[in-house]
Amino acid sequence: MIPPFTLLRIALRTLFIQAGFSPQAMQTLGLLYALEPAWPHLYPDPAKREAAVRRHLSPFNTHPYAAAALIGGILFHEVRLARGEGTAEDVTRFKSTLMGPLAALGDGFFWLSLRPATGALGVALVPFLGVWAPLVFLVAYNAVHLVTRGWLFITGYRLGNGVVMRVSELKVPQWSNRLRTVAAAAAGAVGAWLASSVAAVGGAGPWLGFGCLVLGAGGVLLLERKLSPLALLYGAAGLATVAGALW
Amino acid sequence: MAKCARVTLAAVLMTSVWGGLMALERRAFLQAMVSRPLVAATVTGLLLEDVLAGLYVGLVFELLHLGGASLGGAHADHDTLPAISGAALAAGMGQASGSDATPAMWALSILVCAPFGRAGLLLENRLDARAARYYGRALTEVDAGNVRAVARENLKAMWPQFVFYGLICGAAAAAGPMFEVVETRLPLAVLRGLAWAYPAMGVAAAAAAVHGSHAPKRLRIALISAALSAGAVLWWGRS
Repeated sequence: MIPPFTLLRIALRTLFIQAGFSPQAMQTLGLLYALEPAWPHLYPDPAKREAAVRRHLSPFNTHPYAAAALIGGILFHEVRLARGEGTAEDVTRFKSTLMGPLAALGDGFFWLSLRPATGALGVALVPFLGVWAPLVFLVAYNAVHLVTRGWLFITGYRLGNGVVMRVSELKVPQWSNRLRTVAAAAAGAVGAWLASSVAAVGGAGPWLGFGCLVLGAGGVLLLERKLSPLALLYGAAGLATVAGALW
Repeated sequence: MAKCARVTLAAVLMTSVWGGLMALERRAFLQAMVSRPLVAATVTGLLLEDVLAGLYVGLVFELLHLGGASLGGAHADHDTLPAISGAALAAGMGQASGSDATPAMWALSILVCAPFGRAGLLLENRLDARAARYYGRALTEVDAGNVRAVARENLKAMWPQFVFYGLICGAAAAAGPMFEVVETRLPLAVLRGLAWAYPAMGVAAAAAAVHGSHAPKRLRIALISAALSAGAVLWWGRS
């Protein structure tokens, strides 16, 4: 019912889901923007088209990548509605029921696990790859991100509510825990590399290196006790500047 | 002097456009992490012909903001703005000095631009509040039966982000020569101290990254990997 080219346009428009973000409407404008190409195919009657738009004017908010699954699923239900096989309530229920859980899943996996892990690995590769390390980070992150986003859209469109089952089969929480361990390990390794290697730029090698290592371990403990990262950054800079000036 | 001024003008324009685009990529469009500090700052350095300044300034900001995330309606500090501004400031200082930026310049740039993370967040919140007007217009368009115009309101909300963040990044590049004058007048001892401050800030940022990893046994994991890493660096240095 929706031509493949139009589906592609909608999928690409999901990339703008947060363009018009506001505290009141959140991603509602982005949702309306993404769905807009579908309306002429689903509802040739202008009155039905307007009713469809009105269905999606309520505040919408989820993880921007998970929005692909929701928009695919909304299309699944809108197609059924246009065929006379479902109700308008099916569409709104699908949206309101899933946007919260999918947001939590997306936040936990992408923002709090995959991004820290690939980011820390990217930084850890700087000593080996130099300026190519950021490219490796981008490729590693987007190999997961873009594939997942496309898969979520297609699965949502093909299965509707069935997308929940398919997402649960991915065992996202287990992967998240592993990625967080990778992030902590890579960050620790980078800290030690900075302390023992880059410290040589000041000409005080071992002393600065040892001081930095102590600072790093103590810094984590201070952060656990709610010290601001910015305060730690300035504190470290102040100590090192004074030490360097007095050397 | 004329050459320096010409290079700086081009640098300011390029940094402004790049900074504006990255502010959009960070949240409004795509979110493929091109706007992450490590990538955005390195490209800033590349544009300003000092890629190492961009890489090493971006490295610290990447670690510092590694655990930050916008969850629900609450936003984290802006990570892209300090990274691009810091890289532009460092590269601008280097350009003005006639060579690549030094570790002391990297450190000075990070110290100056680190608070831009919080400033960027405040600006983001103001722009979000302003974007509510586009939602209001969308509701009016629906009432008028103009369904197509509703969708376009989404894109109109992007231009203020492009302009404001672009201007701040451009200003950072323009400020490079001014900071270079300040830096050259600092006593040698302070310059050495600033050079030491760079790795110290890197380690502090790595500590923030360990904390922000949210791993259950993060301190233990980080200490083991740090010991292995330090051992590898020492072994590598001897052989």
